Amino acid sequence: MNKIWLLMMLASLIVLLYVDPGATLSTMIDASTSALTLCIELCAVYAVWLGLLEIVDATGLGQKLAKLLRPLIKKLFRVDNEEIEKMIALNMSANILGLGNAATPMGIKAMKSLDDGSGVATFSMIMLVVVNATSIQLLPSTVIGLRANAGSENPADIILPTILATVVTVSIGIILVLIFDKIKRHIARRKK
Amino acid sequence: MSIYILPILFIGLFLYGFFKKINTYDTFVKGAKGAIKLVVDIFPFIACIMIAVALLRASGVTEFLAKCLAPVFNFLGIPPELCELILLRPFTGSGSYALLNDVFVTYGADSYIGRCASVILGCSETIFYVATIYLSQTKVKRLGYAIPCALIASMIGAIVACLLCKII
Repeated sequence: MNKIWLLMMLASLIVLLYVDPGATLSTMIDASTSALTLCIELCAVYAVWLGLLEIVDATGLGQKLAKLLRPLIKKLFRVDNEEIEKMIALNMSANILGLGNAATPMGIKAMKSLDDGSGVATFSMIMLVVVNATSIQLLPSTVIGLRANAGSENPADIILPTILATVVTVSIGIILVLIFDKIKRHIARRKK
Repeated sequence: MSIYILPILFIGLFLYGFFKKINTYDTFVKGAKGAIKLVVDIFPFIACIMIAVALLRASGVTEFLAKCLAPVFNFLGIPPELCELILLRPFTGSGSYALLNDVFVTYGADSYIGRCASVILGCSETIFYVATIYLSQTKVKRLGYAIPCALIASMIGAIVACLLCKII
């Protein structure tokens, strides 16, 4: 991330020096302002979801959901801890329901519990990020809303191809993580 | 139909909490308290990404890159008009939705390009954003092979999306 960010910043700053040096600072501050606005909105959304999540947790519904999804989670994420299984189960359920903003706080909690403090991402952490970063949501509600606004005759006709493409993306993501993990282990064994 | 799902889930949750004798008010407050801390923690990460993306767009670097990559996208079966959208998608959610709207305005929501753009956005995520925010409360500095995996998967997803739009 450090290298990517530096590259993005340097490339655009140098180009801006030629094209429009006066716009540099105002662009940065505008972007930071929109980040703050976004965070305020997110804070409101998270307050609702974290409040509800706490109730889900207190009633024991979280455990029940985790128990239901345990075989899958255990296999896919290679975790063996009830608390983490519960967070991942809630994260996945929210994602599938298309509630990306509800999934984020639970995913962050799961990541925090998965952290072993070594500074290196474990297999489970990588899998969780990749599954979340390849979008397992089934109903692209924002896209459908935008299409309806733009005067589409059938805004929802992209649902079927979207679901199919999503399944492809997530499956490839999972397969790639498994392949990379195998390669990594192979290299580690060779070094020994 | 789908507008009933959430309200019904919520009613079920509160009723269940009542039967389980849980103080729903206290519990909700306890959970909601965590929101401010969470947002304070992730703000710097969000700001960094958004600043970089805004500079990239303002300087025209993304437009230039999109032009350079157009033949590659064309070869892969992706309409070259969607280059910028695909390049920015991993970094920004709101930004890519703005670009999607531009595509709708320019080419029409029901055109082939408009449908491709819709499916590509629907089947992908803001990879860098997800990765940095998920890591924000851990000590992990590097994510190993997570980002390449997600990027390759999304790229293949985009190619499949354009193919599917031709068929369906």
